[in-house]
Amino acid sequence: MTESTNTPVIVLRGLKKHFGVGDAEQYALDGVDLTINKGEFVTIMGPSGSGKTTLLNVLGLLDTSIEGDYQLEGRAVNTLSKRQLARIRSRQIGFVFQSFNLINRLTVIENVALPLTYKGGLSHIKRLKKASEMLATFHLNEREYFLPYQLSGGQTQRVAIARALVNNPSIILADEPTGNLDSRASHIIMEELSDLHQRGNTIIMVTHNPDLTTYASRVITMLDGKIASDTDSLLGQPSVEFKRPLAMVVRPSTDNQAANSQTKPVVTTLSKVDRRKLKVAVRKRQQIAKNRAPARHAEEYHQ
Amino acid sequence: MSRFLLSSHLQNARHSLRSNRSRTLLTILGIAIGVASITTIMSLGDGASQVVAQQISNLGGNLAIVRPGPSRTNFLTDITVPQGQNYATSTLTDSDVAAISALPHVKEIAPISVINSTITGQHSAPAGTPIVSTTPALSSVDGLQLDVGQFLDSNISQNTAVVGSNLARIIFGTTDALGQTAYIRGYNFTIIGVLKPLNQPINYNNIDFDNAIIIGQDIGRQLSNGSAQIQQINIRSDSAANLTSVVSSINKTLSAQHFGDKDFTVLANSDISQPTSELFYAVVGVTTSIAAISLFVGGIGIMNIMLVSVAERTREIGIRKAIGAHTTDIVWQFLIESLALSLSGGFLGYIAGYGLAFMISTALPFYPSFNWQIAAVSFGLSVLIGTIFGLYPAVRAARKDPIEALRYYS
Repeated sequence: MTESTNTPVIVLRGLKKHFGVGDAEQYALDGVDLTINKGEFVTIMGPSGSGKTTLLNVLGLLDTSIEGDYQLEGRAVNTLSKRQLARIRSRQIGFVFQSFNLINRLTVIENVALPLTYKGGLSHIKRLKKASEMLATFHLNEREYFLPYQLSGGQTQRVAIARALVNNPSIILADEPTGNLDSRASHIIMEELSDLHQRGNTIIMVTHNPDLTTYASRVITMLDGKIASDTDSLLGQPSVEFKRPLAMVVRPSTDNQAANSQTKPVVTTLSKVDRRKLKVAVRKRQQIAKNRAPARHAEEYHQ
Repeated sequence: MSRFLLSSHLQNARHSLRSNRSRTLLTILGIAIGVASITTIMSLGDGASQVVAQQISNLGGNLAIVRPGPSRTNFLTDITVPQGQNYATSTLTDSDVAAISALPHVKEIAPISVINSTITGQHSAPAGTPIVSTTPALSSVDGLQLDVGQFLDSNISQNTAVVGSNLARIIFGTTDALGQTAYIRGYNFTIIGVLKPLNQPINYNNIDFDNAIIIGQDIGRQLSNGSAQIQQINIRSDSAANLTSVVSSINKTLSAQHFGDKDFTVLANSDISQPTSELFYAVVGVTTSIAAISLFVGGIGIMNIMLVSVAERTREIGIRKAIGAHTTDIVWQFLIESLALSLSGGFLGYIAGYGLAFMISTALPFYPSFNWQIAAVSFGLSVLIGTIFGLYPAVRAARKDPIEALRYYS
């Protein structure tokens, strides 16, 4: 696994994001302090409504109406113009979505070439050539002129990852990239992300699936718009080795909600069952990694 | 916007419009009808102007005319107000004619008054047949040629008339009408000449001489109860080179005669060739209104379709923004799409307009004209409509919140 450096690419200080006004005001992010270093593979977990996706949207500069400080590669985001933000999204950030978000009327290759259009400087032919090269690394060169609906879920997500990577972004933001995939396709996608991580990319992934945290170098758990646990802080220093998610945060039960309304979220260590699940997941992953030849079996990728 | 992005937007517009062919065609149709109407009007109008211009050119380029009333420089006035002065007192008088004829370099002058009355020979002339009251100089000023007989002459009786070939056929049953008598308001007129067929229903005099009767100025004044309603004064300078100075002197002299009132218009050469027919202006008025309404409705059609397109592609807008599109990129994307619609409509309308103009011209004595101005107006109108009606949907698309847009499911 590639070592993460101590160069911070993302620094959040007291980040808040609220929706609604007056009595209806709610904080989706409520004072998030977070530093993500270059080359980290961060998994963000947490129950629905905990602010994971909102955080990812903020990190991806899709949502800029925030309070607090957000520094991206040393630049304060709130000082950047809309054009600069768009340029950063185009050149430095790659998005992978749960629902793939390919444009249905464009072919696979045109979808992958799309970010190059907004980056500028490349003719149509060169854009397609570069997209084709990117698709080849995902063993999708035979599907270049397919339309998205003609692909399987796993293939579609690999196209989406190819699109996210075509501009060589330094940060990849993935919002539940395996949410719509079966377990086999999920692991293929996770292998791809893991590969990208090994090549030095910073990956921030939102997921509900604890199995997938085994791929990450750091696991952050969110609750009620706050970071409830962070393996980085639990272990003291960022580790170069795989860190097992040591804690999960659970909401107070609804029965005790009134009584516990003033109490902080309960932080518990993983149950024995969860630990066992994690072990199985790690073993599975190791097995898959072991079986992976340098040139992958094409069949695996066309499923 | 880089040329690569522009080509991408163009490709995108092609994709999008082709994916909804029937919707695209119906939208284009609205614009095509509007542009076709404009093209038809302009090509026929210009064709008519060229007919008159050719007539003036044949006369040697030394013709100037004076018409009552101020000049019309406003397009709207041109198409909405008929140019005849049939029911108003003319602002031109006999003393104006005398003053102009005294000017240097004025070779010949012919005032024209048109009287409306019934003409009877062996048969009655159709209602509205013009009775032209003028001087003998009209023959040489307008280059009128006679088939038989002679033109008006101040040395012979005033109760003589020259008749157009077609009118002669109508009221006397023959073009050989010399010596026949025509009756107008109780006066007898002996026909002393029949004009050669001109076949120029459209001309700068606004008179179809093939269907007119020409009488002397003095008798014409008697028919109008003593006052000549001068509709137009035709003047020829001694040379084409002196025409400008003649026009300038006429303007000065008439201004002095009219105490500074600019209630007359002096036209020379190409200015004369503007169509003068009331019917022409009526047709132009109606078709322009249709064209304007059609273009407006077509524009609304474009806006409507573009709004639908923006709604359908909300998610796509979110995706494009997420992968680096700036607000202006989205605006251009949709604006180019609406321009593609309007320009396609404009192109089809231009072709259809000429088709229509040629069909109409089979019933007219002239052909529609081709020139770059008509193409430029069609193109300009298409761009204008596409921009005006495409801008709002484009801006609306660009303003979409990318997060909301990505959540959208069509």
